[in-house]
Amino acid sequence: MHERLSFHIQRDSFLHRLNPLTKLVLTLALVIIAFTFPWYWTPHLLVIAAIIPLSLLGKVFREFSLTALRLILPAATFLFLMQAFFQPIGTDIIFKFYFLDVTTESMLFAFRNAMRIFVMVSSFTLFLLSTHPSELMSDLTRRGLPGQFAYVIISTLQIIPQMQAKAQTIISAQRSRGLDTESTFFKRAGSLVPLVGPLVFGSLVEVEERAIAIEARGFTSKHVKTSLHEIPDSTFDQSLRWVLFILIIASVGLNLWLS
Amino acid sequence: MAFVNLQNVTYKYPLTKEPVLQNINLQIQEGEFVSIIGQNGAGKSTLCYALAGFVPHFFKGEISGEIEVDGRKSSESTLDEWVLNVGLAFQNPFNQISGAKYTVFEELAFGLENIGVPRDEMKVRVEEAMTLTGIRDLADRSPYSLSGGQQQRVALTSILVMRPRLLVLDEPTSQMDPIGTREVFGVVRRMAEEGMTVVMVEHKVEWIANFADRVIALKEGQILMEGKPNEVLTSGLLVENHFGVSRYTSVAREAQQRGLWKKEKLPVTLDESVEGFRS
Amino acid sequence: MMNIEITNLCFTYPTGLEALKGISLTMNLGEQVAIVGQNGAGKTTLVRHFNGLLKPTSGSVSIGDWETTKQSVAKLASRVGYVFQNPDEQLFSRDVLTEVSFGPRNLGYAKGRVDELVQRALALTELADKTGTNPYDLSPTWRKMVALASIIAMDTPIVIFDEPTTGQDAVNVARIAHVIAELKKEGKTVITITHDIDFCAENFERVIALSKGQVLLDGPTREVLGQEEILAQTYVDPPQLTRLGKRLGLKEVVTRQEEFLKAIK
Repeated sequence: MHERLSFHIQRDSFLHRLNPLTKLVLTLALVIIAFTFPWYWTPHLLVIAAIIPLSLLGKVFREFSLTALRLILPAATFLFLMQAFFQPIGTDIIFKFYFLDVTTESMLFAFRNAMRIFVMVSSFTLFLLSTHPSELMSDLTRRGLPGQFAYVIISTLQIIPQMQAKAQTIISAQRSRGLDTESTFFKRAGSLVPLVGPLVFGSLVEVEERAIAIEARGFTSKHVKTSLHEIPDSTFDQSLRWVLFILIIASVGLNLWLS
Repeated sequence: MAFVNLQNVTYKYPLTKEPVLQNINLQIQEGEFVSIIGQNGAGKSTLCYALAGFVPHFFKGEISGEIEVDGRKSSESTLDEWVLNVGLAFQNPFNQISGAKYTVFEELAFGLENIGVPRDEMKVRVEEAMTLTGIRDLADRSPYSLSGGQQQRVALTSILVMRPRLLVLDEPTSQMDPIGTREVFGVVRRMAEEGMTVVMVEHKVEWIANFADRVIALKEGQILMEGKPNEVLTSGLLVENHFGVSRYTSVAREAQQRGLWKKEKLPVTLDESVEGFRS
Repeated sequence: MMNIEITNLCFTYPTGLEALKGISLTMNLGEQVAIVGQNGAGKTTLVRHFNGLLKPTSGSVSIGDWETTKQSVAKLASRVGYVFQNPDEQLFSRDVLTEVSFGPRNLGYAKGRVDELVQRALALTELADKTGTNPYDLSPTWRKMVALASIIAMDTPIVIFDEPTTGQDAVNVARIAHVIAELKKEGKTVITITHDIDFCAENFERVIALSKGQVLLDGPTREVLGQEEILAQTYVDPPQLTRLGKRLGLKEVVTRQEEFLKAIK
């Protein structure tokens, strides 16, 4: 059983060595620029010139391609088809599909939007592949993110698989009392209560105990927190973040100025 | 002045009618190992929470009387200060894992990060604690991949690393299998040998007899009886009040009535029984 | 006859873990059987085959004339009741009465019969005065009793208890022992997985010790629990009285108080 929900893969690469905040800023930059820069081919270029090279630099090309093929590409294609067929723009009809008219304009529109989505999901995927969640949270906490916020995110990632295991046990227990999960009657909403009820109530008990446990280990202490691991933040990281920041401003500014 | 001093402590949880602790008076010396026994609902966990500060600071409710540990009063402290002095571990090891860390080493350091211990000192303290409790081989494992006994040992170590003056354990072996029980008792024994003051709630009477300095029997929020293990654990008062007794004790008691047990004192442990029946 | 027949049962989890490596045994109606052994020996894996939660990788399991691979878990629940270790993993109703009625209702019994069974189960578990209480307002001790009552009310010929005494105080252990004695009187098969070897010695006639997916020992309680060296292989200690008897050099293996007292005369 997976002990935790994690997309992160441990590698030694340029991308992995970047500071987590830098990677976060990079991801946001790619998304914002893809959506705002006033040139049609922006997202397409970003995929070729940024996303793919980054996946190679991050040594996660294989995992990224698998996710791209299984998840991102089908989603983007679906979006493309929906927009191309169901959002008619313009008058230059290329072909008819039964009662649906497809115009050049709508195809171009859909193509760009699909690519924007592709950039967005891909950059977050790369981010998750190359960043350990606890490193990200440690770094953000160091910079001022409230400790409770970081705790909620990390503990959720670890506890969800445990809850899945618990849910499985609950289902087994209720089936053993004759709850029929194998026939169509199960689909009625009422059957969910015996499954969700114990999960929720049981979790409430656990949450209280865990709150006591972390309190017993100084979680609400007023001291300034220290960190076991040092997360490096090189001058390269800092400079890169400034450059990206400027690019974001430029992209948004240009967009506003031209519209 | 006793190291731990509870004076006339009465406590009622919010929205309940009856107080769970009634007029508790208890003194514990430094380095003592005190065991608490009683039925479920007698107030054992609440007593543990009172020693650890969670009653009343976490649970609110109504409290009267004074709780003092190491010269400090609970009523004059905040919970985040109090937990630095008193460590608390309880039954379910899974709920004691913070969920915030991916390896046992990091998990042990979690408490030290929270209280602002410098990085180098953190590493030293974690190493020391792991060596004391014998879990060095688990350092790089995910806490969620461990067995119940291993998780409970990690939970105990993560409290030890905070260097508390008093250690409160609420049924640490109740959910363990025999191997886990042995492992956890082993850690507790080592901590007691290091001179730690320990209060432990436990059902396993035979182990208490071998190891506790004093036993306190709790009934309906009050102290029914306290004293040396083989006085309390063989007392007829426990039987009258439906406490669990060691089978060695009950068989010897029955044997005594049939003239088969000649000694005056009843046994609690295997060795005591063997000795008694042989004579 | 409502016997459990296990023939050459092998089970491998999807992860590849070979949990059961060829188990064959029979449990006749009315037997009280305790299954012991270290964690990982296959105890839970074995009993989950009895109500169909797990289906054999090879070999077969039959409950009476039903082969478990040919029945749904819901159907097998009419013959095999399973009390899970943690009551919080099954309690969900707004009051004890509704909770205990859940099982028998699912089995499709007539209303009159459901009421009768529920009343009997509540009386047996001392919950008659708590029928209107929300299970989660009860202490863990009473929640355990509600879980027990919920399964007893299903009136199955076979009942399985998974670690019934873990974390319970002496009073509740006595209540649980009382419930098991009643089930025995009614001629039901009671199977338990337990680490509490003294509880096992005092309430069960047959002990099966599992180790590494296979049966290590299987026989009457006195025989099995006297084999200290073999039991040690699966980290099971003999009961307190058995150890005492051995140390005193008694010839027979004793497991219960009366036996011991007679033997030392």
